[in-house]
Amino acid sequence: MAGTSSPLLRLDGATVALGARHFGPFTLSLAAGERVAILGPSGAGKSTLLRLMAGERAPQRGGVALDGIALARWRTAALARRRAVLPQSHAVAFAMPVELVVQLGRFALEPDRERGRIVGAALAAAQAAHLAGRRFDTLSGGEQARVQLARTMAQLWDVQGGALLVDEPLAALDPGLQLELLEAMTRFAAERGHALVAIVHDLNQALAGFQRLWLVRDGALAGDLRADAAAVPALAQLFGVELVRVDLGAERPPGVVARRPAMA
Amino acid sequence: MASEALAWDGGGAPARAQRLVLVLAGLLAAALALAASTGAVPVRAADWATLFDAQRSGSAHVLWELRLPRALLAAAVGAALGLAGAMTQGLFRNPLADPGLLGITSGAVCAVALTLTVFAGIASGLPLPWRPWALPLAAYAGALLVCFLLERVARWLTPGSVAGLLLTGLALNALAMAVVGLCTYLADDEQLRSLTFWTLGSLAGASWTVVTVLLLALAAALLAGRRLASALNALALGEAAAQHVGVDVARLRTRLVVVVALLAALAVAWCGLIGFIGLMAPHLVRGMAGADQRRVMPLAALAGALLLVLADTGARLVAMPAEVPVGILTALIGAPAFLLLLRGVARQQGGQA
Repeated sequence: MAGTSSPLLRLDGATVALGARHFGPFTLSLAAGERVAILGPSGAGKSTLLRLMAGERAPQRGGVALDGIALARWRTAALARRRAVLPQSHAVAFAMPVELVVQLGRFALEPDRERGRIVGAALAAAQAAHLAGRRFDTLSGGEQARVQLARTMAQLWDVQGGALLVDEPLAALDPGLQLELLEAMTRFAAERGHALVAIVHDLNQALAGFQRLWLVRDGALAGDLRADAAAVPALAQLFGVELVRVDLGAERPPGVVARRPAMA
Repeated sequence: MASEALAWDGGGAPARAQRLVLVLAGLLAAALALAASTGAVPVRAADWATLFDAQRSGSAHVLWELRLPRALLAAAVGAALGLAGAMTQGLFRNPLADPGLLGITSGAVCAVALTLTVFAGIASGLPLPWRPWALPLAAYAGALLVCFLLERVARWLTPGSVAGLLLTGLALNALAMAVVGLCTYLADDEQLRSLTFWTLGSLAGASWTVVTVLLLALAAALLAGRRLASALNALALGEAAAQHVGVDVARLRTRLVVVVALLAALAVAWCGLIGFIGLMAPHLVRGMAGADQRRVMPLAALAGALLLVLADTGARLVAMPAEVPVGILTALIGAPAFLLLLRGVARQQGGQA
């Protein structure tokens, strides 16, 4: 998959230090249209890796490049037309209407004649059309997540082959909504050839919804694997659990159930 | 622009905002007329007619030389404070931010106090035509200094914390006021008088020159606000997310700080400390027209102008023919209003204000 053409996003020995903690070096490449899940225990450095890729943190050593150009050399607005980021926190200061929040995704495209139409379409694609006209701060957590997803979709709505980076989008949502939003994201990315990189906690979602897995432990990359049955032992080792495979049929990847390892 | 706003701002708010502009502008015009007509010397409709005649009546003279510049100064200063408040709240992503609370105004007062006392020798050594500009320039320098300190220090001590920001502002406020206290201690009698005038806040120093400069600065700030409004809206998403949608956050911050410091400094340089307008005007406006900065900024300017014209008229009338410094009046009304606002914000954020 990767390496067949020049990569969309490439990390070359990129490192970051946060206080006394060091992250990396990360050497990874993301191909156009690829779907990658980032997995790892809490505090392993998943969000730091995503922030490196988003350009939110500059690497201390090594480099991060999009379309072969170092992120630091991109203009903020030009970068916004190639990649969107869905953050972990959904808070919006002030009582803004839902449409305005979604419309902010189109900031780098102003003046934007298509804005009204795209805001509506993005809301529908994120299954949030019914929230139009509401005030963002009065929405529930799950509804806010849908609106923020619509905002990132609006940002890459008329782009081809961009990148959508997602930081723990589904944490704290109910299972039905998790599947619904993951599906909406995947469909959106597939229709436009966007690469999708998401931090995921649910192993089954990672195995079923993504093509590749990046495993992160203790601030460093612990694995870069295809998301299939062969990845299960590595996942068990990553989280220090025993994973029991559950067969879901021939054409679907296996499910797993985690349990504490038996005392040896 | 207008049709776009109509299409996608939800819930009939744009129409309400347009009505609100008309209502506020009408009220402001009425308040200006009231301010110009009331006071120790009665002014009648006939006096307005002689305003541009070679031989003005006595009342028309009062109207032209005193009342009109003062009423317009009140409007301009109020608008500057309201706009500065809206911008500060957007910049710090908090409805409780205000140039006064954050110490920006105190920075300007501190610089003015130093200029009036410790550096009085330098100021009076300036060529005569430059002297009226010494105070505004010093005030601007003081306000800018506090703005940048606030950005740096709060970010360094308490990254991302709103409480940390407000507390840093409080500390800078105290520091600036301590320097003002020191200046008071060192001042001679005459310097003390002029210093007291600043700290109380008064619009009695109005002149057409001052009004013109302030209106020009206000126009420039409104234009800047118009250009920055969309980016300021995006900043409500948080700094990282604003950057992700394409806002150059560092540049936006610098620009806002420069404009806010200019507005706060000009208001302080000529009128002293007038508190709470910058806090209340944007809040009132957001309650009525929503939180879209493209509308909040011009409306907050209008609301600020209206509030200060009314407050100044009240300050002139309440103990006629003497007058109460308007800064005292706005604080008397503004402080309880701030407490009510705090209660509202705390409720909305579940006690996390």
